Amino acid sequence: MDIIYLDNNATTRIAPEVYEAMIPFFTEDYFNPSSMYEPAGRTSQAVAAARRTIADCLGGVEPSEILFTGCATESNNTAIQGVVRANPNRKHIITTTVEHPAVLEVCREMERNGCRVTYVEVDRNGNLDMPGFIRALSPETLLVSIMHANNETGVVFPIDQLSRIVKETDPGIVFHTDATQTVGKLPIDMVRGFPYVDLLSFSGHKLHAPKGVGVLYLRRGTRMRPFLLGGHQEAGRRGGTENVPYIVGLGRAFSLATANAPGDEARIGRLRDRLERGLVERIPSVEINGGGAPRLPNTLNISFHFIEGEGMLFQLGEYGICASSGSACTSGSLEPSHVLRAMKVPFTAVHGSVRFSLSRYTTDAEIDRVLEVFPGIVANLRTLSPYWDNAVNAPHPDALGMLEAK
Amino acid sequence: MDWEYSDKTKQLFMDAVHGRPGTHLGEIENPDGMGEHGSIACGDAMRFTFRVKRHPSDPTQDIITEAKYLTFGCTSAIAASEALCSIIEQGEYTPISALSIQNSDIVEYLGGLPEQKIHCSVMGAEALEAAVFNWAQRRGVDLEALGIDLQGRDTEEGRMVCKCFSLTEPYILRKIKELNLRTIPQITNAIKAGGACSSCHHVPGGLQDLLDRAWQGESTAAASDTPAAPVFPLVSLEAPPPAEFSPYQFSKKVEKVVEEFVRPSLKLDGGDIEIVDIKGMIVYCRLQGACAHCSGASRTLKKMVERILRERVDERIRVIEV
Repeated sequence: MDIIYLDNNATTRIAPEVYEAMIPFFTEDYFNPSSMYEPAGRTSQAVAAARRTIADCLGGVEPSEILFTGCATESNNTAIQGVVRANPNRKHIITTTVEHPAVLEVCREMERNGCRVTYVEVDRNGNLDMPGFIRALSPETLLVSIMHANNETGVVFPIDQLSRIVKETDPGIVFHTDATQTVGKLPIDMVRGFPYVDLLSFSGHKLHAPKGVGVLYLRRGTRMRPFLLGGHQEAGRRGGTENVPYIVGLGRAFSLATANAPGDEARIGRLRDRLERGLVERIPSVEINGGGAPRLPNTLNISFHFIEGEGMLFQLGEYGICASSGSACTSGSLEPSHVLRAMKVPFTAVHGSVRFSLSRYTTDAEIDRVLEVFPGIVANLRTLSPYWDNAVNAPHPDALGMLEAK
Repeated sequence: MDWEYSDKTKQLFMDAVHGRPGTHLGEIENPDGMGEHGSIACGDAMRFTFRVKRHPSDPTQDIITEAKYLTFGCTSAIAASEALCSIIEQGEYTPISALSIQNSDIVEYLGGLPEQKIHCSVMGAEALEAAVFNWAQRRGVDLEALGIDLQGRDTEEGRMVCKCFSLTEPYILRKIKELNLRTIPQITNAIKAGGACSSCHHVPGGLQDLLDRAWQGESTAAASDTPAAPVFPLVSLEAPPPAEFSPYQFSKKVEKVVEEFVRPSLKLDGGDIEIVDIKGMIVYCRLQGACAHCSGASRTLKKMVERILRERVDERIRVIEV
């Protein structure tokens, strides 16, 4: 059975061009870039070339502003912990309630270490509470860390505007954004688009490079202590022998994404819109999470009331279709999506949420297949649901109260 | 994380969602017993109904002949519901003897369940209990007189321990004993308590306290969570307003100047201005209407508003456009 992979916000397949570019550095060019002999020069040049490519793709920044890390989680840890440790005189961090755990958990750890953290809320559509954000700014604010786009809903925050407000308020505040979901999907220009952003995190495996490599963009002059000590690599800002093949792969993947971006973005957006429209037309009692906010073109987070997400994913799996859900049963813990809960999405819609995330490899035929099988999957589970009235194919009148925002 | 389900679980689920013969989805009309467990907030809920072959003289000799369910829940919750109905129909149980069916029987029937899904089997057993209790009321059977402990088998009111899943102290204590739960993770896997916000784990009267009480003298897992986060006072370090104003008067003054000298000229162009916040000497405002789409508007507006406020209120004022 062919796999229909619609979970690209979780990870992506490696582009064939990327794989090919990496191979020499697994085989003949295996040398440590720090070594002195001539063959090692090829590996250090390859790392330098990848660094230059990424600097160019980010709008023409200095290559020295690019740090290679092991993953976006490491980039986020480095950014937040490194800034906190370098600036002991300020003790306040602002973030949001819908961040990825790689930011939320680090902020909670900083709270345990003596920082005060403000978690700015979002509205029912996932938009940031702007007055709440401004209210949070204080003379002791050290760091603002706000994601560019949300991994679950695809809602995009106005990072250009937020970072400008922060810097106009107090240039001493450091602005970090986790752009893991946007790099490679939306154009990111650190010179013209994000001139007020000091730190930006992303990883390779969301843009068709392999897992195990990430980047932290670090604007020159930003005060930050290194997170991984123990080596001169990355100008002493991140110890550890460079992961040469993966760094090369990331460079190749980013240049591919940048070259294809405008066409890909529009095409993926059309596919997503068709999927969304098709599901809404074919299935009653659904809602689009984040539908009222600016969204990534590849992401559709849709809730089917009164049924549970895992049962939908399981049946999708029978057709080889891969997606994910915000339901408690798929979270590994018993807690449903903190993002949808922060948006005050009612429980029935949180548990019944499914996220489809597309990529440049998604085809029209794959979308057709989902539209063909999904209405049946939902109907199967609704037949079983105590909250669904099968006689009229609508929610049971007693259950309608559950659809109010909580 | 793959689907760690047994083939039996997967099969029962697929049979159920496709409504194949021999499955038990649905609701019996005018049932002899009906019980519910769970809620939509918790992520799974079940309605269980059964019909009996009535004994002409002794209701306790009724035999359950048919069982059905409606379940909102994940793959294993639906499979567990199927399992429960099959076990009951195959066993020629009386409602009272059906009470001996434990969640472990359901797990066994399913060929095992992943640890974190054990609660799905517990839900089935709970709904069954509730249905039997309901049957007893309908048939006028005094369960208590028969020596069946009804303590806490219906509503179980009491102090709420796990607020996320609405579980009370008597219920959790009973389950700790019944299911021989010795650690907080075991409690969470079995009945979900403590599975979401975790705040009930180590507070006074929380899950660890209940474990200690239930197994007095016996050892239970020691608390090993990280210490609670220190509480910080919310400090306001806003820059002080000019000496001649209180913060309230300062804000009023800014509003007044904006109203009299800024808004009228913006309205001429079909635009407007909204003050979002004032912090110290910084005035945050938002452009509305026609101005918002006018290129270069922000710089012009900002400069104009800033100039007017500096002239008329305080020369240190800065304006930031939101």
